Amino acid sequence: MMEMAVAKEEKFPTAKRFDIADIQVSREATAVKPKVVANMIKRAKRPLLVTGGQLLKDEKLVEFAVKFAEKGIPIAATAGSSKPLIERGIKPVSKTYTLHQITQFLQDEEFQGFDGNGNYDTVIFLGFLPYYLSRMLSSLKHFSKITTIAIDEFYQPHAKFSFTNLTKDRELYYSMLQEVLDNL
Amino acid sequence: MVLEFGKGAFVVDDLRNVTIKIGEIAEEEEEWAPMGPTPMPGIATLRDWDFFLLKRYKPFYAPACDMCCLCTMGKCDLTGNKRGACGIDLAAQTGRIVTIACSIGVSAHTGHARHMLHDIEHMTGKKLSEIPVDLGPEIDEVAPLTELITGIKPKTLEDLERALRYAEEQIVQVVDAVHTGQEGSYLDYESKALHLGMLDSLGKEIADIAQICAFGYPKGEDNQPLIEVGMGVMDRSKAMILVIGHHAPPVLNIADYIEENGLEDEVDLGGICCTANDMTRYYQKAKIVSALGRQLKVIRAGLADVIVIDEQCIRADILYHTKKLGIPVICTNEKAMHALPDMTKEEPKNIIKYLLDGNPGCVILDPLKVGEVAVEVARARRKQRGDDIGPRLTEEQFMEYARACTQCGNCTIACPQGIRIGEAMEAAENGDRSKLEKEWDVCIACGRCEQVCPKGIPIIDMYNYAAWNLIVNEKGKLRRGRGPIRDSEIRNVGAPIVLGTIPGIIAVIGCGNYPNGTRDAYTIMDEFASRNYIVVTTGCMAFDAALYKDEEGQTVYEKYHDRFDGGGVVQIGSCVANAHIHGAAIKVARIFAKRNIRANYEEIADYILNRVGACGVAWGAYSQKAASIATGFNRLGIPAVVGPHGSKYRRAFLGRPYNDEDWMVYDARTGEKVRIEPAPQDLLVAAETIEEAIPLMAKLCFRPNDTTQGRSIKLTHYIDLSLKYLKRMPDDWHLFVRTEADLPLAKKEELLKELEDKHGWKIDWQKKKIVEGPIRGYHAGFNPTNLERCLRDGFMTV
Repeated sequence: MMEMAVAKEEKFPTAKRFDIADIQVSREATAVKPKVVANMIKRAKRPLLVTGGQLLKDEKLVEFAVKFAEKGIPIAATAGSSKPLIERGIKPVSKTYTLHQITQFLQDEEFQGFDGNGNYDTVIFLGFLPYYLSRMLSSLKHFSKITTIAIDEFYQPHAKFSFTNLTKDRELYYSMLQEVLDNL
Repeated sequence: MVLEFGKGAFVVDDLRNVTIKIGEIAEEEEEWAPMGPTPMPGIATLRDWDFFLLKRYKPFYAPACDMCCLCTMGKCDLTGNKRGACGIDLAAQTGRIVTIACSIGVSAHTGHARHMLHDIEHMTGKKLSEIPVDLGPEIDEVAPLTELITGIKPKTLEDLERALRYAEEQIVQVVDAVHTGQEGSYLDYESKALHLGMLDSLGKEIADIAQICAFGYPKGEDNQPLIEVGMGVMDRSKAMILVIGHHAPPVLNIADYIEENGLEDEVDLGGICCTANDMTRYYQKAKIVSALGRQLKVIRAGLADVIVIDEQCIRADILYHTKKLGIPVICTNEKAMHALPDMTKEEPKNIIKYLLDGNPGCVILDPLKVGEVAVEVARARRKQRGDDIGPRLTEEQFMEYARACTQCGNCTIACPQGIRIGEAMEAAENGDRSKLEKEWDVCIACGRCEQVCPKGIPIIDMYNYAAWNLIVNEKGKLRRGRGPIRDSEIRNVGAPIVLGTIPGIIAVIGCGNYPNGTRDAYTIMDEFASRNYIVVTTGCMAFDAALYKDEEGQTVYEKYHDRFDGGGVVQIGSCVANAHIHGAAIKVARIFAKRNIRANYEEIADYILNRVGACGVAWGAYSQKAASIATGFNRLGIPAVVGPHGSKYRRAFLGRPYNDEDWMVYDARTGEKVRIEPAPQDLLVAAETIEEAIPLMAKLCFRPNDTTQGRSIKLTHYIDLSLKYLKRMPDDWHLFVRTEADLPLAKKEELLKELEDKHGWKIDWQKKKIVEGPIRGYHAGFNPTNLERCLRDGFMTV
C-alpha cells in the first residue's frame, strides 16, 4: 500500500484536510497518484463514476467526465451535472438521484446497480462540494466495503483513496485527471 | 390525587381542625370530538408508527465523528460500526447524537414557549386563563397540533399551558434516554428523535398562538402589508436599534415606547432572525435587516446604535465584536447573558447612564424596562455620531490589508463554503474588487477565516468594504407574517390538494446556511409559485427570498398573492409559526376528510403521508432547531429537502424505490395489501444544487392517493422541471404512471411510446391504453393506509 501513497519528495502537495476540524480516529485516506487511481479503476469489476454539481461551474470537469465515459466508465450524474454531460452526448446511467440517495443505494444489499447487473465495487467521485462528499464518504467508510476514490481537488480523508489537496494548483489538478485518463 | 364521588351526600362529620384545600378544579372538557386513541402520547405510544416510517425510510447515517467521548470509559473508537465500552455501536451512537440535536432544538422552541407565557402574564397583567385563544371567525380549529397530540382544544392560554407541561415532561424523559446505558438500537433512538420532533411542533404552536392572542398579531388574514427587508433599509440618519434573536416580547416594549413617545421619525427599529419577523407582526414600521447568514456582516458594518438580543442563533462572540465597535448590547433573556451584569432591578435612567458610559452592555430581564433603555441609549448615541455610517475600513486600510494577504490558503481551508478568499484579495490588490463583491453574498460571515489568518486581516470588513454599495442598496420587500391558515381557505383547497390538482404545498423554511448565496431562496419560491403550487414560508429563508426582484422589479411577495391557494406565496411568520404549516396539513384531514383529529396522531399522519402532497425545503438549515423542525414534519408524514450543508445533520430518511416490500400499503376498500409507487420517496434528503433540489421537491409531492387528473398535473411538473434542470426525462417517471390517464395530455403519445420502447410496457395503440407495465393500476376508490388498526376499526371521523 505504501508505494501507492504520495511521497513527500514528489511533486504533489501534502494531503491536508479541507476541513481542518474533521479529525477522526480512523485511518485517513491514502493520498494516491493518478496512475494508482487508473490501476484501481482498471482492476475494478464494477466501477462507477459519480459526478456532482461543480460540473455546472467548471467546464474542465465536464470535459474530464466525458473522457471517463468514453473510456467506458458508467456515470451517475447528480446535482444537475447531467445537463452539461447530456449536451455533450453522454448518457448517464442515473441523472435523477442525489448523491445522498446514491450513497444509500450503494450500502444497500438489495441494490442491483442502475443497470440491474449488481452493485458497484469501486466508486469514483468527481465534482462535489467537499463537505457534502465528505459526509457521504464517511458513511461508505463505516457502513460498506466499497472502494471509494475521491478525485476532486480536495483531499478527502474519509475516502479509501484520494487525490491530495490541490486547491492551490488547479493546473496540477487537471494534469492529474488527465494522467488518470491516459492510463486507463 | 383524584377523588371521585358518585351519587349521594358527601358528609364530613365530627371532624375538627381539618382543612380542605381545593387545588386545580378539573372541569369536564367539552366533548368537541370523541377522544382519540393517543392523548398526550408517551415515548412508546407512537413507536409502531415510527417503526413503520423507519422501515420504509431507513435511517441513513453519515457520522460526523467516529468516536464517542461522553463517558469516562472512553473515548471509544466506533469506526466501521464497532462497539464502544458501553456497548453502543456507531449507528446507535449516531442516532443518539441526532436525538441529542433534536432535544436541543425542541428545548429551544418549548423553552421559548414557556418564556412567552411568563412574559405574557407579566406584560399584559392578565392571568393566562383570562386570555382567550381566539383566532377570529374563520378559524375554529385554533390549535390543530395541540388538538392532535394532546386532545386539548384550548379556549384560553391556560389550556395551552397544560399542553406545554406535557411537552416539557416528555422532553425530560427523552433526554434521560440518551444517558449512557439506555438505548442500544438506532431505531429506538430515531423513534425518540421523531417524538421530540412532534413535541417541537407542539411547542412552536403554543408559542405562536400565545403571542398572536396576547399581542394582537395578524390572525391569518391575507393581503398583508409589505415590510422592508435588507441591509440597506435602516435609516442611518435615525437612531438605530438592532434586535437579534427569537423572543419578541422585550422588543414589543421597544415598539411601544417608540409609539407612545412619538419617536417614529427619530428611531428606526430593525432586526435579524425571528424576533425581527415577529416584531413586524406587531409594529409595521419595524424593518428586517437580514436573515441569520448576514448577522456578523450587519454587526461589523456597525448598523446599530444599540443592539438588543434575546435568545437563539445569536453570535456567541457578539460582545467581542461590539466592544471593538463601541456598540452597547442589552441582553434580555436569561439564556444568553454573555457575562454582563444583571441590571434588571436598577432604574432605567441608571442603566442608560451605565451603557452610555462606555460599558459593553448589561442584562435586563424585565421586558417592560427594555423599551425605554434601548431607545434612549440609541438616541443619545445617535447624537454622538455623524449623520451617516460608512464602511469600517478606509480606502488605505483596505488596500493595505489586500497587499498583506500572502494567499496562504488557510482561510479557504477554514471557510465552510471553501471560498477562494486569497484569490479575491489578490484581485483586490490589483484593483479588481468584483470577486470580493460577488462572494460577499455566498459568505455566511461565520468568521472562521479571520481566526486562521496569519496576517490578522479583518476579512469580514474587507468584504463589507468591497460590497458597501450592495449593502446600502439592498432593499427588498416581504409580506408581513400572517400566522395561521384559515379554515375557510382549507375548505377551498382541501379537495384540490388531496386530489392532486393543486400540485403541492412547498414549505420554504429554515436558516441561511446556503451553499451558493441567498438567491436560491428566491428561485425556489418563484419556480413553484409560478406553477400554481402553494408556497408557504417562514424564518430566514422568507427574508432572503425578499431581496430579489424579477424583470419588472417585483419581489415574489409583490408578484404573488398571499392566500393559501395555488400560486400563492404565504409568509407565515417566524420559526415557531412553522406550526401553522403542520396545522394546515392536519386541517385538511379534519375539514376536508372529516377525520377526527383529537388525540389521533397516527391516523392523521398516515392520512397526510398518503394524501397531502406537501414538501418542505430548508435550503440553508444549520441549527439544532432546524433538525427538530424537520423531524417533526417527518413524523407527520411530510418530507423535507435540505441543502448540502444539511448532510452534516448525520442522518437522513431515504427510501429505496426498488425494494417492493417497503412500498406495500393496505387498501382500506378491499383490505388487500398493494404495492404502491415510491411516493413520497424520501422523508429527509440533501440535494447539492437547486438544479437537483427543484425536480426532487416536485417528485416528493406525489402521493398514492392522487387522482389521475392530479397525478397528470404533478407528473407534468416533475417532467418539465427535470427537462429544465437535468436536461432529460427523469429516470423514474414511469414508476408514477398507473394508467394512461396519469400521463400529461400534451405528451401522451410520446410518453406511451417511451413506456413501450424503453420500459417494455404493453400498449394497446388503437385505444391508446396501457395494457401491462405499471406497478399498480388506478382505482378511484383506492383508500390507502399503513395502519392495520384502521382496517379493523375504520377511520375516526367526526
